[in-house]
Amino acid sequence: MITSLDQIIDVLKSNEKKRLVVAYANDSHTIGAVYDAIQHEIVDATLVGDRETIEKTCAEHNFDINKFTIVHEPNELKAAQKAVELINNGDGDMIMKGLVSTDKYMKAILNKEKGLMPPKAVLSHVTVMENSNYHKLLVVSDVAVIPQPDLNQKIALTNYVINVARALGIEKPKVALIAATEQVLPKMEACVDAAIISKMADRGQIKNAYVDGPLAIDVAIDKESAKIKKLDSMVAGDADCMVFPNIESGNVFYKVNTKLANAELGAMVVGAKCPAILSSRGDSVKTKLYSIALAALVASK
Amino acid sequence: MFPIRSLDQMVEHLRKSGKKKKIAVAYAQDPNTIGAIAKAIAEGFVEAVMIGDEQEIRSKAQEEGINPDIFTIVHIPNDAAATTEAVRMARADEVDVVMKGLVGTDKFLKAVLNKEHGLLPPKAVMSYVCALDLPKYDKLLFVSDTAVLPFPDLNQKIAMVNYSVKMAKKFGIEKPKVALISATEKPNAAFPSSIDDTIICKMADRGQIKDCIVDGPLDVFLACDPASVEIKGIPTPINGEADCLVFPSLEACNSFYKGLMLFAGGELGGLIQGTTKPVVVMSRSESEKSKFYCIALSVLMAD
Repeated sequence: MITSLDQIIDVLKSNEKKRLVVAYANDSHTIGAVYDAIQHEIVDATLVGDRETIEKTCAEHNFDINKFTIVHEPNELKAAQKAVELINNGDGDMIMKGLVSTDKYMKAILNKEKGLMPPKAVLSHVTVMENSNYHKLLVVSDVAVIPQPDLNQKIALTNYVINVARALGIEKPKVALIAATEQVLPKMEACVDAAIISKMADRGQIKNAYVDGPLAIDVAIDKESAKIKKLDSMVAGDADCMVFPNIESGNVFYKVNTKLANAELGAMVVGAKCPAILSSRGDSVKTKLYSIALAALVASK
Repeated sequence: MFPIRSLDQMVEHLRKSGKKKKIAVAYAQDPNTIGAIAKAIAEGFVEAVMIGDEQEIRSKAQEEGINPDIFTIVHIPNDAAATTEAVRMARADEVDVVMKGLVGTDKFLKAVLNKEHGLLPPKAVMSYVCALDLPKYDKLLFVSDTAVLPFPDLNQKIAMVNYSVKMAKKFGIEKPKVALISATEKPNAAFPSSIDDTIICKMADRGQIKDCIVDGPLDVFLACDPASVEIKGIPTPINGEADCLVFPSLEACNSFYKGLMLFAGGELGGLIQGTTKPVVVMSRSESEKSKFYCIALSVLMAD
């Protein structure tokens, strides 16, 4: 079982390397992150973009250009489409956004005929966090993509966090469906949806996990709180995964953890045929590396 | 003797306990009701105030070979007025139970539900729970709602669970097993009531519904047949041994109990729930035996 983000990198070193395809790798931030991952020997990479710009950037930053496969495509949107095409042709295991704008990148992924989405799939986002105050990794969703998930989307989110947790080697992860309280208050949609999903898990409609909700965050991750509240739950106090009722709560949770509690994280977009990395310039070098590592780990499962 | 496992055991229990309650019968001039009340008086657990046309009550009793002097008779020869008086007596604690006689159900319930003078507290949910005695089940089965709520919403269903549990506990079942019935055990948005069931289960997990073990949605097989639980491999704390069944609709529950009466030799006792005192309402076509069991049940439930 993997209990820290660095362990993901260790595990990947002994696996066969996964191939990362980068859409419009025309900037030093992107190339640097990929180069870092290559230096850690966890991936091989194909950079799709303007060859001249890539060569120039590598020279400026002392990146050994021979470590990359380069596919020349100087147009932003076409580079994203080319990256998607490479994945669909089996020439890559995960995709990463470069200098292309998020909407063009997503457009290429979501294209019905040539994109990466299986029919009816729910596109969402999973973050794996490491916080020194918690005894293991936390897999959370959705902090970035779906603003207000409905019941079906929450079921998809639940399955995504389960899959990621299992990729981390947690055989039967404990999933907490987060609400403001562990009481079932019928006027709070978060409570109601959590009750439904819990029962679906009881009935085997969601597999390979212990699922309980609604749970307040304190009860989900703090054994003492769970004990005080006398909650009879497989999950309370020891959650591996958290599914948030909306993007605001998930987003605030992860940002508070990174900015006030020095948490580290890796994150990726899930639901497409392959993991998709959406790193932003603001992300730390470590976050970029962990995100690539997480995607590679999930891609190899 | 506890827990009570059949309706006859319930009667036996009342007889031995020495519990005695006073029943006001609204418009008490039908022979069926008179016969059932006389039997309960003879068993020793009932005193009866028969409200109606005194002459009629006396002659109907005599026709049945019953001495009318075993009753207290209050002469009010009008059905609505007789019902109003029965309800007033219950509110004034002059009697413990109100029972419908020859008055129509509509008129009777109108008096019971009257906001100022009736027996239903504000915001209380009125429902109906039946105790079924079935030859092929080794204990009583408490089912709701056979008669009052057509399509119970979440709040009403929670009330039904609590009413069923309250009744089962009076029968000495310490922690009744409540199955929330559906066509299948898998929650499915196409059946909104199965979604409500999941909410109720989790409320019970969280201690918001007490004194019982709840699971649902479950079909009747998983609720009442341990062999089906084993075959299907669905882990449920009910384990095919439900004490209480809460149905998604009145039609489902009504058909369930009537089918069992007709084809499986079932007997029943039932009561209105939610009122401040037990209220016995039975259809005129109900047998004297069922009426007797309903009276006995009202005595068991009366405080």
